[in-house]
Amino acid sequence: MAADSSAPSETALSVAQQLQQLNTARKVVLENNSYYDKIVKGILPIIGHNAALELRRWGAEFLAESLATPVLRMSEKENMTVAVLETLRGLIEGADEDMIVLKASVAAAASAYPVALRWIIHNSYHTESWEHMSAIKSKILQIWDGAPVPVKLSCIKFAQRVVLAQTMSNGMEQKYGGLDISLNMIPPNHPLLDPRQLEAEATGLLDRMLGVLQDNSSDAPLVDATLNCLSILMRTRPSTSNRILNTVLNFNPLKLANSPMTPKTRVLVKSLEKTTRLFLTHVLKRDPGNPMAGRIQQYIERLIRSRAEIFDEAGRKRALADHAAASLGDAKRQKTEGGLAQVVIPPLGPGPHTLAAVFTLTNNLGLAAFDATQLPVNLAAKISVRALVALDKKVLDLAVSGIRDRLTSLHAAAAVAAAATQPAEINAATAPLGVDEDDDDYEPDLTPAEDTEQILNKLDNAPPEEPMPNADAGAPLVLGPFKLPPPPTLDPNVAAKLSQAAASRVFGPLSSLKEGAPLRKPKAGINRLAASSYDRDSWLTLITRLATRSTAGLEDVNSGIKPEDAGSALDRPRMSLGDTIREILYNYILEDWRRRIEIAVAWLCEEWYNDQLTKRSGSDAPLHYENCALRLVDGFLSYITAQDKVLTRFLAEIPELSRPLLGKLKALCADPTTVQLALTTLLYLVMMRPPVRDIALDTVAEIWAEYEDARPLAAKYLVKWRPGFIESQAHGTSAPAGNNMAIAT
Amino acid sequence: MDPASGSEGSSAPAQNGQPEDGSGFKLKFCTVCASNQNRSMEGHLRLAQANFPVISFGTGSLVRLPGPTVTQPNVYKFNETSYDSIYRELEAKDPRLYRANGLLNMLGRNRLIKWGPERWQDWNVGMPRVKHEKDKGSVGMEGGVPDVVITCEERCWDAVVDDLLNRGSPLNRAVHVINIDIKDNHQDASIGGGAIVDLADSLNKAAMEEREKVGAAAFDAGGAASRASFDERVPEVLAEWQQRWPDLPSTWTLSWF
Repeated sequence: MAADSSAPSETALSVAQQLQQLNTARKVVLENNSYYDKIVKGILPIIGHNAALELRRWGAEFLAESLATPVLRMSEKENMTVAVLETLRGLIEGADEDMIVLKASVAAAASAYPVALRWIIHNSYHTESWEHMSAIKSKILQIWDGAPVPVKLSCIKFAQRVVLAQTMSNGMEQKYGGLDISLNMIPPNHPLLDPRQLEAEATGLLDRMLGVLQDNSSDAPLVDATLNCLSILMRTRPSTSNRILNTVLNFNPLKLANSPMTPKTRVLVKSLEKTTRLFLTHVLKRDPGNPMAGRIQQYIERLIRSRAEIFDEAGRKRALADHAAASLGDAKRQKTEGGLAQVVIPPLGPGPHTLAAVFTLTNNLGLAAFDATQLPVNLAAKISVRALVALDKKVLDLAVSGIRDRLTSLHAAAAVAAAATQPAEINAATAPLGVDEDDDDYEPDLTPAEDTEQILNKLDNAPPEEPMPNADAGAPLVLGPFKLPPPPTLDPNVAAKLSQAAASRVFGPLSSLKEGAPLRKPKAGINRLAASSYDRDSWLTLITRLATRSTAGLEDVNSGIKPEDAGSALDRPRMSLGDTIREILYNYILEDWRRRIEIAVAWLCEEWYNDQLTKRSGSDAPLHYENCALRLVDGFLSYITAQDKVLTRFLAEIPELSRPLLGKLKALCADPTTVQLALTTLLYLVMMRPPVRDIALDTVAEIWAEYEDARPLAAKYLVKWRPGFIESQAHGTSAPAGNNMAIAT
Repeated sequence: MDPASGSEGSSAPAQNGQPEDGSGFKLKFCTVCASNQNRSMEGHLRLAQANFPVISFGTGSLVRLPGPTVTQPNVYKFNETSYDSIYRELEAKDPRLYRANGLLNMLGRNRLIKWGPERWQDWNVGMPRVKHEKDKGSVGMEGGVPDVVITCEERCWDAVVDDLLNRGSPLNRAVHVINIDIKDNHQDASIGGGAIVDLADSLNKAAMEEREKVGAAAFDAGGAASRASFDERVPEVLAEWQQRWPDLPSTWTLSWF
């Protein structure tokens, strides 16, 4: 815009000012691409071949940029391109043109060429623009050889675009920037364009481009520039790819390495080698199925080796790494996905098969023998859905195709068998002419005439050799809501039996747990945690607590938890869990009571503690301690002998003693051998447990009174601990309060 | 600007800060590393401070930053995550760790340079970058096409060259792609940044000398090394630079946008 208005007054402004205006104009188009057409056309008069060098440079570079811009579509560029051609021609044809102007102008021409060609294809009347384009082309091809390197680079690129536009495309690339313009678009009868001639020209230009590789040039910028613009031809122009590949594979990028290695040659050799290698790697990656892939791979590997030799100081490690990467793939990104799971589908042997056998894919005999019909349909459906969700699709495909193959071969075998058994009734209407029915060479056609579906139907209709699973093929495959069948109603007797069994299982571990070794048992101290050592003792602690406390608080008769159960069939035979365990625990202790007296003590301690808790809570749940203690004492008193000092210990250690409990000892005195034990035990209690001294002495007194045999010993203790008792008994008066006496002693 | 007219070409004022001006000519650069965070951004900043037009990219699939352990990197998407948001996220996660390993410092620098990490492969070359005025090094980069791409790792160079082969060179515009192997840590990135500026200065000098030659003289004397063009002199300049920076192995090729 600014440039537009400045055009007529060009002479009035300095070059610097004009450049500044041009830059402003450029910013405008960069910001808003709808101005491109206007501004490009507007600046053409300013940058023509008669303008100042600075302006021509700026102009050529601006044209190159504008004609290449990705913001405009091909159709939007057409108008602009055609308008620019004349100026472009002027710049390129200008005698002794500046290198930078030429470089940019040729680049602009490269961008313009496909667009102009497309324009001519559709607007053949416009001969003038094709004339300009042709002139530009011939001038570029003319200066190509003698031009300085930057211009040469642009010429290479221009030639590449001409080749691209004038060869047949495989239609693989639909891209912006005119890469998709090809010979395919030119109609054979075009008045200006002769496709055969254009294609011949393209072939010639490709050869000329590849010349730099064929000559094995070490002019790195030219070789790199050529290699780096060949990939699009390789990919999209099949007629060029063999030519290109052969040339590149015959090129030796390391030739320069034979000359003395200066820092510059090192840069050049490295550049040529890597550029060649990357180009081939790219080709291999894009087209792994290329028939020349093997050659390319070899070439790449050879390059890596040679390079490692040439740059062996720094190259060693890198080459090895590269090599490893080439042969093994990127070590950092190894594929974790393993190969397909080995699913082998064994073919069926000869002979009749059940439908189940046809569908059995496992080699495991046990599994194969499993009768799936035993499963309820609901469950089978659930399992199937789960399995299908988790199954790899490839495995499923493999299995399906395996089954299909089996069916096919089965069908074929059946056909053969049928042919063998019933000597062919040849249908005269369908029998091929000239086929003798006993022709020995006759090979039955093994491909089935029916499809798998039909074979399956046939198999379905065949009399089943075993009851079919509830496979209702027609049933809709909708899963109804699945409900577990209700459990059978529980018989109270069975329930009681089961809970007893459950309780006895609690004692199972005791037989396997080792006896605690008392010798190495450290004193755990008062802060120890019960049942934390995971040995037999811990387990016993657990059992005793299960017995005493598991139902604590649930036994409250008046709590109203189970009023409706009262008197029901369930109620009577039932024992609470605690009672069941108590029962078993009791039996367990009595089995070997001498050694398990400690357990008894521990148990009673727990019972006593639990009773205290119950009392404190004020509920009227039953108390257990007294009953258990009496029962235990009853239990082992009948087996006791004179040597069983454990009795003394037991009575000394249990937390509470009562008159009835000590009264049990009197029974021992009926047997003269155990009198001593009973009385010694009582004496021990008198001496060591002052709170029960009175009860104990009372018991001794009772013994003295009741058992003649025990009297001498009892008298001896009574004399010592209750002086005057015997005398009072003798006189028929009982001591009023033994308590005072005891305290007096 | 002096209104006086008539002075042509080489006599134009030298230091007017206008990159487009002939004498103040500046090559346009592009720095590339894996995540567009450390090495390429150090290069970006240093080149911008040296008044070069510059943009920067990463070639990785995702932006990866170190996390609390090797197996727990912090991962972000290119083009969608700003340096500022990453900064704030990491600061909230573990300010002590990310300050100690220099990440916050680096992100704090980056968010002053441009909005966020950009991915090379997603870059539409030649798209005008007029909306990036606040980016450092944006002046002169409006056209969106650099003259030289500098990668900071061989892997990135391979990715860039391969990507250019893939694009099929629609713009017909030559570009020098140079790799400088820089280790991915803050100290080496800083050294590498200095080396990149040194290389840029050397290349720019060669380019300016090319532009000072006028007309037919250059055309005729194409063979003489001293008068050779910029494109020819790039390997030579790189070789000289390599002598100065022997610990930063380099690779170069000439490719096309």
